[in-house]
Amino acid sequence: MDRRNFLKVVAGATVIAASPSLIRGNLYAADGTLYKAYEKTQLVDAAGKPIKASALEKEVTYIFNYPHASTPCMLINLPKPTTKDVELTSEGGEKYVWKSGVGKERSVVAYVAICTHQMTHPTPNDSFIAYVPTAKKTMAYEKSGIIVCSSHLSAFDAGAGAKVLGGAATQPLNSVVLEHAADDTLWAVGILGSDKFQDYFKSFRPELKEFYGGPAEAKKLVSISAKTVKLTEYSKEIIQY
Amino acid sequence: MKKALAALVVGTLLAGSLNAAEKKDPRLELMQDMRTMMDAMEQIQRGGLYSSTDEMKAGVKKLQGTLKSLESEEVKTILPKDQVYAYKFAQKTAQMLRMYSDDMIVSIEAGRMDNALDDYTQLLKQCTSCHIRIRNW
Repeated sequence: MDRRNFLKVVAGATVIAASPSLIRGNLYAADGTLYKAYEKTQLVDAAGKPIKASALEKEVTYIFNYPHASTPCMLINLPKPTTKDVELTSEGGEKYVWKSGVGKERSVVAYVAICTHQMTHPTPNDSFIAYVPTAKKTMAYEKSGIIVCSSHLSAFDAGAGAKVLGGAATQPLNSVVLEHAADDTLWAVGILGSDKFQDYFKSFRPELKEFYGGPAEAKKLVSISAKTVKLTEYSKEIIQY
Repeated sequence: MKKALAALVVGTLLAGSLNAAEKKDPRLELMQDMRTMMDAMEQIQRGGLYSSTDEMKAGVKKLQGTLKSLESEEVKTILPKDQVYAYKFAQKTAQMLRMYSDDMIVSIEAGRMDNALDDYTQLLKQCTSCHIRIRNW
């Protein structure tokens, strides 16, 4: 390797070390971390204006589609700071670490809104999966302030990497890795955890055709920005037990 | 002769009232629908395994004939008492059964048998999903 090429490699490695979102593909670190980077995408509102972390209403479920055009994700501003460095285990036994929420209070989290049990997810018609605010009760678990899939009553810890608290789910919800910029904007950069996107595309083929036009459109990767709206605007009906 | 006629009238009335009582009990209707659904699923599977698209289509028709009560508000009257609150889930399951069975017909017509058989798998998954939830498995 000549001097010029050596410098190129060093420069590339430095940029990746400074910004993990520049990495594409799967990363399996020595400690078992499971992370897949996707296009860095800014979360914007229905009018296309950037979402600011501090402007998010507390305990409200927002929805944006990422990393694919048809894969819904939840964005929640929790009432208190999240736990740090939560060790999680995938269905296949892989260990990985969820770092924490983002924002000034470390309370903003995002998870893929596809239940890891039987892939219940929000659609424009209805949603059986959502965050249950602390003031509401749920049948799925003894306390609220958690994410509940009301199909089979799986409960996930919203403040700890969507760790399974109860029900039939056998692994946490996948996390959307967020970057919180200095100007308070939010960016999705990748997915943490063992995803089920391919199963999802296969299982919901007719539904995705109805809402997105076909498998190719449904699988299309999101880039530049992702429209983020309240779940109440995304789905006509929210069912929560 | 009069006795025979009277017995016939009483018998007819009794049978009629029993029949009416049976019709009025939505849970009995649900049980009948569930048996029909099982027959329909068997028919679709048989059609798939014996490469008979007619059999599969007949199974779909039979299955869809049972969905009306599950899709409507009537479902509240047929669920077990402790599961009535979850009627939206039963309705959603019925909608999914309709969606996959509609897609099965589209797939068969288009000659995409792999998609049609995938739809069968999804139909079965919906059945078991609902039974896990409603019957507390």
